[in-house]
Amino acid sequence: MTAIDGAVAAALQLESVRRRRRLVKALGWTSLALAVLWFTANEIGLNPIALAKGRVHMWDFLTRMFPPDLSYIQFLGRATVETVQIAVWGTLLAVVFSIPLSLLAARNTTPLIRIPWFNEHWERLGLHLLVFHTTRMFLNCLRGINELIFALIFVSAVGLGPFAGVLAIALHATGMLAKFCGEEIEGVDRGQVEAMQATGASKMQVILFAVIPQAIPAFISYSIFRFDVSIRSATVLGLVGAGGLGFSLIKTLKLFRYPETATCILVIFLLVWATDWVCSKWRAKII
Amino acid sequence: MITLENVSKTYEGVSKIVALRNVSIEVKEGEFLVILGPSGAGKSTLMRCINRLVVPTGGRILLDGREVTSRRRELRAARRDIGMVFQQFNLVKRLSVLMNVLSGRLAYHTFWPSLLYRFDQDDKRIAIECLTRVNMEHKAFQRADTLSGGEQQRVAIARALAQEPKVILADEPVASLDPKIARQVLTYLKQIAGELGITVLCNLHQVEYAREYAERVVGLSQGTVVFDGPSGKLTDDILQQIYYRDPETADDRD
Repeated sequence: MTAIDGAVAAALQLESVRRRRRLVKALGWTSLALAVLWFTANEIGLNPIALAKGRVHMWDFLTRMFPPDLSYIQFLGRATVETVQIAVWGTLLAVVFSIPLSLLAARNTTPLIRIPWFNEHWERLGLHLLVFHTTRMFLNCLRGINELIFALIFVSAVGLGPFAGVLAIALHATGMLAKFCGEEIEGVDRGQVEAMQATGASKMQVILFAVIPQAIPAFISYSIFRFDVSIRSATVLGLVGAGGLGFSLIKTLKLFRYPETATCILVIFLLVWATDWVCSKWRAKII
Repeated sequence: MITLENVSKTYEGVSKIVALRNVSIEVKEGEFLVILGPSGAGKSTLMRCINRLVVPTGGRILLDGREVTSRRRELRAARRDIGMVFQQFNLVKRLSVLMNVLSGRLAYHTFWPSLLYRFDQDDKRIAIECLTRVNMEHKAFQRADTLSGGEQQRVAIARALAQEPKVILADEPVASLDPKIARQVLTYLKQIAGELGITVLCNLHQVEYAREYAERVVGLSQGTVVFDGPSGKLTDDILQQIYYRDPETADDRD
């Protein structure tokens, strides 16, 4: 009995020491975080009083928007359809691009670069994963650049209009989709892959029969989510002249026709809400 | 049929693990060979060396007199002749039972038909025939993950048979099944292999199954062959050698 008592006492002692250590650690980090937050709040001029003072202007802005000029809706139909079209094509292109890219961006499907008689050093340096790293880096660039910036670039390349928007969304969404799916592919069950390899199937056949069936539900569900996000992006791309509702928004704003701006915002809200609803239904059906 | 000559495998890593030391085995055509040993004895590694899911670090392996190498085309041809059955079944869960069995035919085809998941009439006939052999043809169109463990393993056997292999490697095929289903699966394996003249290598860790099903037993302990003979000669002394040789180093690796 005493041996057990001793062990229990020792474990309890250890537990209390660990708890104290954890507490000290948590306190340290919390105070550090608070200090940093306080400092940055000062730096960026986070000031509730300024907001309170500005309420007059805000109220002024809102009253000018009300009541929304609902008759303007008749001019928004075309722009709304265009927004959806941009999102559909942008997402579709992203899906098509990201299928091969996600295979390159997964450690278990990426082509390995091997050099016979030099393999050991080569692999220690991670150079056999060159394609993988290059693809990941490329995708990070695509992801890192906001759609609006892409749109600015493409507007100057292909001119004002929805095509620039499509390209902007396609590139940014490719970066997101391919990275996510690459990670999904890395997480597939190795056993199923091994079983396919053991039948004598080629690398591509293994991908088709063991990897893709496992990754496809996540891929589809993420593509639908991506479409939802693309709609939201497409509503603002017009701000830089890349077509869709954003263009009407900025136009009415610049012409000081605030009731019409309010209508634009209303339509955008309805569109986003409807997409969200449709996408969630769609996803639920597929999964 | 299969000849292993001084096959060794050392896993390089944080700590070196010697999984196989100079294993030499000669397997005759049509034999039902059980490789018996505790967990971590190197049974799995030995099997995977034969179809090169694991590349051995020493020795050579001959299949039908031809060495199994890492050269891609030759390796694919060799793997086509070697079916494999796994402890965890490893069916592709989201594909139908029939598609799983058909995937055993992949090595007979090129990339383009596979891209469309298409197989020809002959493949389908072979696949259904194999399913019938394990009495699973009535579930051909169900998704693989709707089946019970025993059913999945039978489908996995059908997949291996669909390769029209000369050899089947069964890596702990019954370790995740209850005793009744385990016997059923082993019976299928032994009976079908006997009918078709397929050589079977089967990893087991349970002595009673080895006694019941094996024609010949190879006892493996810490990567070394400690027994090779008919199952009737498995005496307690030998089992002692296989299972309790220096238990401290018998770490778990399968």
